[in-house]
Amino acid sequence: MPHYGIAIDTTKCIGCHSCRVACQNQQGLKYDQSFNWIKEREQGRFPAFGKEFVPVQCNHCQDAPCQSVCPTGAIYTSPEGIVLVHRERCVGCKYCIEACPYKVRIVDHHEGIVVKCWLCHDLVAKGGEPACVTTCPTQVRIFGDLDDPNSRVSQFIAKHRAQPLRPDLNTRPRIYYKRS
Amino acid sequence: MPESAWGWLIVTYLFLAGAGAGAFVSAVACDLLAPDWSKTLARAGSLAAGPLVAVGTACLVLDLEAGLWQPWRQFYLVSNLSSMITWGVIILSLFIPVAFLYAAALNELTVVGRYARKYLRHLEVVGGFLAVATAGYTGVLIAVVNGVPFWNTPAMPVLFMASAMSTGLAVAMIGAAIIDITTIRTMSSFALGHVIFLSVEGLVLMLLIFLSLTRSVEAAASATMLISGSLSPYFWALVVIVGIVVPYVLSIVEYYEYGKMHKALVVGADLCVLVGGMSLRALIVFSGVAPHIV
Repeated sequence: MPHYGIAIDTTKCIGCHSCRVACQNQQGLKYDQSFNWIKEREQGRFPAFGKEFVPVQCNHCQDAPCQSVCPTGAIYTSPEGIVLVHRERCVGCKYCIEACPYKVRIVDHHEGIVVKCWLCHDLVAKGGEPACVTTCPTQVRIFGDLDDPNSRVSQFIAKHRAQPLRPDLNTRPRIYYKRS
Repeated sequence: MPESAWGWLIVTYLFLAGAGAGAFVSAVACDLLAPDWSKTLARAGSLAAGPLVAVGTACLVLDLEAGLWQPWRQFYLVSNLSSMITWGVIILSLFIPVAFLYAAALNELTVVGRYARKYLRHLEVVGGFLAVATAGYTGVLIAVVNGVPFWNTPAMPVLFMASAMSTGLAVAMIGAAIIDITTIRTMSSFALGHVIFLSVEGLVLMLLIFLSLTRSVEAAASATMLISGSLSPYFWALVVIVGIVVPYVLSIVEYYEYGKMHKALVVGADLCVLVGGMSLRALIVFSGVAPHIV
């Protein structure tokens, strides 16, 4: 069984937000709902300065805080390592939103449940890739099997020593970053 | 990106659950340790505990979304024993009936109360344990959240416990004054309770702030928001002065001027404690800052 993950190369990100729009289209989200965001970080001083765009989405943590605090057991990890929400079980207590250090979970007020990136599980199951990955004009994201040392994503992580966001939080995310 | 998901309903719940549990403990302590001081205080505390916790729990349920309009989903709430909400649901489901039963037994209300009277001591022991669990769990609930570094400290349950005990005692004292205003002269003995609980609350709050300033960037941001930032007027005025300093001084005076203090000041000190307790919960919930991730 593969364990999926994504490597993100922030040095290539131009902050165009097409990943966000592709995700909204794919998941049928409204304009003000989102499963991924682009955070911006300014660095350096004039004249040597720059802005880094950091795409952020559910990190599909191996030790997911949202999963351990969910009282209804609505949050679970699929065999492929994707953290999923059981829509029939969620009561909307929002404890997972508080527990998530990355703050990537949102409330769907229509269904009354908490939703988030599910790594386009429907597309992935058919052998495809998540919409944010395929739509990116500068190919910032690389999707693949983290368990296969020969996969593009594993090679990228090894070559660039890509790290997850805030590894000190011990959530062991499956999204890795090459930072500028 | 979403920052905080919890609002006033959760704040109210944290406050009412603490105050109700504290009122229960006050009633039990009064009935077991000092029955000759004031029967009224024990009666008032026992009568307030159940309804306060029940209303608080109603706030918690109202904050749900799918669980509110599809209530059968609430049965899933006891699915995950590593979740503090699962423990909370178990503790509250046990404590609320015990609190009502205890109120009935102590005040000999209805047939149930007269029957339960025979088991008063059992109710006091079991209920006391559950009340401490309720007050403590409200603190642990937010202390285990590593998505908000300011909350993520063992000082939080201690702070909430101290605040629960002082607000509970305040509820019981106000209730006693409502039931029988003449009993207010004997309240002075209980002012010592306020002095103790408010000292602990003040000390732990100070420790929390000082330690948060150095613990992590995010915890420091929360602490700074409270002591000198956007929430500082509320923190200093409502939590520190109204919630701790004023009732602390009044309680010391009340204790030494046994029975001579004006009753408006006695009840005033208790109201101050309640305002402080509610403000403390609100400010801690609203000052939460998420980890800086990029």
